[in-house]
Amino acid sequence: MSELRQINVSKTGVSKLAIVALAIIFAAGLFVVGFDQGHIFSLVYGEQAFADLYIHELTHDMRHAAGFPCH
Amino acid sequence: MKTSLFIMIVLVSGAFAGFIHGTVNFAIVEPYLDQAIGIENQNLFASGEEEDTPEFWVEYEGYRVWQKSGQIVSGVILGMSVGSLFGIVFALSKNTLPGNNMIKKAVILSSIMWFTLYIIPFLKYPANPPTVGDGETVVLRAILYLSFIAISGLGATAFYKLSKKFQNKRKFIALISYAVFISVVFFAMPENPDKITAPMNLVHEFRIMSVLGVTSFWISVGLILGFFWNRFESHKETTPHYT
Repeated sequence: MSELRQINVSKTGVSKLAIVALAIIFAAGLFVVGFDQGHIFSLVYGEQAFADLYIHELTHDMRHAAGFPCH
Repeated sequence: MKTSLFIMIVLVSGAFAGFIHGTVNFAIVEPYLDQAIGIENQNLFASGEEEDTPEFWVEYEGYRVWQKSGQIVSGVILGMSVGSLFGIVFALSKNTLPGNNMIKKAVILSSIMWFTLYIIPFLKYPANPPTVGDGETVVLRAILYLSFIAISGLGATAFYKLSKKFQNKRKFIALISYAVFISVVFFAMPENPDKITAPMNLVHEFRIMSVLGVTSFWISVGLILGFFWNRFESHKETTPHYT
């Protein structure tokens, strides 16, 4: 007597493209929120960005609350 | 799962969890930040660096509003960032995680990552409110904090791989080895070079609220990504098999 069974085959592969894209987002986001001291805007505004600290001030409260050294 | 769908659910779950983190911080951490910044301002007046004038308070209110409004915005950015790391690790490890559905597996992984990437580094380098911290040492402190997170996370991954070589109860050898390893690192890493000059009750209460905020993120990201994975998982192929 034949027996019908179902086998669930789970594909676990994740594309390398997805891992690279998410790794870039991880590093960029961590730098913006945790460590930027004017570096990103300095690419456009030069030395003035290190005085204005727009991103630093925007992330200031989260930076303290999440445990990153702020100033 | 398609690459685009995978990336989308990872980013959306990270953004949602980050939004929750920012909202929790807004409710329970902000009062302590305001209190600490108030002390910082009084120190500036006392030292003569700033004068207690209407102009000072206009400028202060301007950037303080910007800082407060950034709590939730930066929560979403940080959530997408850390959520991306969580998504990568979950995708690579979900088949070996305990649990009979993706939500349980994701919450177990988020608990492990919360402990190894946040709690252990926090015990060595706890969060501090404004007024604590010398600007001259910020780069050193950032390097120390990031290094300890990386060592703890990579150490946990290495000892997890080691545990696969052991059978059943002997897997605990890898867990104990990680505990010994991270304890040695804990005591070997340099201390935070800055002295705490703020009232200790303020610092302690701020740290408790900080832990609650970050914990809300890790719980949320596990639940949300696990839910999305269950919801959108379309890769189960049903193959009739006759014996």
